[in-house]
Amino acid sequence: MPLARFLLSSLKNRSEESLHIYKRFVASERYYACCTRFGASKRFYSSSGRSTRNNTPSLRLPEQSVPPSPWRSFIIPGSVIAGIGGLVFFIHYNDEKRAIPKGQGAKFERSAIQGPIIGGPFSLINTEGQLVTEHNLLGNWILIYFGYTSSPDVGPAEVQKMAKSVEILESKQNLKILPIFVTIDPQRDTPAQLRAYLREFDSRIVGLTGSVTAVRQMAQEYRVFFKKVDEEGDDYLVDSSHNMYLINPNMEVVRCFGVEYSAEELTEAIIKEMKKTET
Amino acid sequence: MALEAYASQSSDSIHTDVLSQARLACYKARDAFYACLEKESNKKPTESAYVGLLYPAECKKTREAYVNQCRPTWVKHFDRQYCAKKRVQRLLDDNESRRGV
Repeated sequence: MPLARFLLSSLKNRSEESLHIYKRFVASERYYACCTRFGASKRFYSSSGRSTRNNTPSLRLPEQSVPPSPWRSFIIPGSVIAGIGGLVFFIHYNDEKRAIPKGQGAKFERSAIQGPIIGGPFSLINTEGQLVTEHNLLGNWILIYFGYTSSPDVGPAEVQKMAKSVEILESKQNLKILPIFVTIDPQRDTPAQLRAYLREFDSRIVGLTGSVTAVRQMAQEYRVFFKKVDEEGDDYLVDSSHNMYLINPNMEVVRCFGVEYSAEELTEAIIKEMKKTET
Repeated sequence: MALEAYASQSSDSIHTDVLSQARLACYKARDAFYACLEKESNKKPTESAYVGLLYPAECKKTREAYVNQCRPTWVKHFDRQYCAKKRVQRLLDDNESRRGV
């Protein structure tokens, strides 16, 4: 009961009052301790038959020099140990929760995609001047490439590769895929420019452009890096990560192809992906 | 509404120097220039091109044609590529001559 009162008062406010109660409590405890000790020693002595009376006054003295908070020194190490114990318990519990028993891992994979979620909503303008959003593209397999028309060598090579892949897929395998070219240089690549540029490669390629903010937002969603370099008056090159993304009919990015893929390898990979979801 | 705003500010001019015909002509001029460089590699390079590339005076004509055909940023880009390629070649060749020293 005195212990409860002490704890309550100390929790509410660390004031003089709690200190007084504490002192009284400690004093009483000491009194109990010394009394029991005294009583025990008395019993011991009487049972052994020896009475060393000069021990009793010396019994009183050491208790005065006992530090006033014998149990307080255990608070800090105790709480530290409790904290560590709690942490260990929490980590163990977390591990148990996340553990997937062997053989059931496939159940937890979301669809066929393993990797970060790339892609998102966008709204751009195609070469005819019409607004195109991701809703218009649902239901098709898509091969998307982010480039710009003023690219010296890599850009045209990539677009050529894309066109060739689509050609092979349609003629040999009879698989339809929609190639899309999104320009990361919207200031210079107007829809007319895109139309003239892409016409030379393949008429199936859809060109998309838009305002700078719209293009930048889409590039961010698709994790495409691009930067203006080599500025010389009005002219500049755009440094970019030349990646082609393969997107399934649900508008989810399935694979990403770099510059190192040739047209044949690209076609092979695309066929593999398309066949995988069909079966 | 973004569509109209975009259409109003875009002009209809096309940069024809990046279309395939111009591109192919540029590649040809570029290849001619670099071939000339290879051929005259024993001559002393006196003229300077972009990004520190030096070339002998014999190739001046091809250089003119090259610079006229291609965009200046493209010329710089190709020059840089060529320099990097030469550097790697030199590194690989020199390594063999120094072996055993």
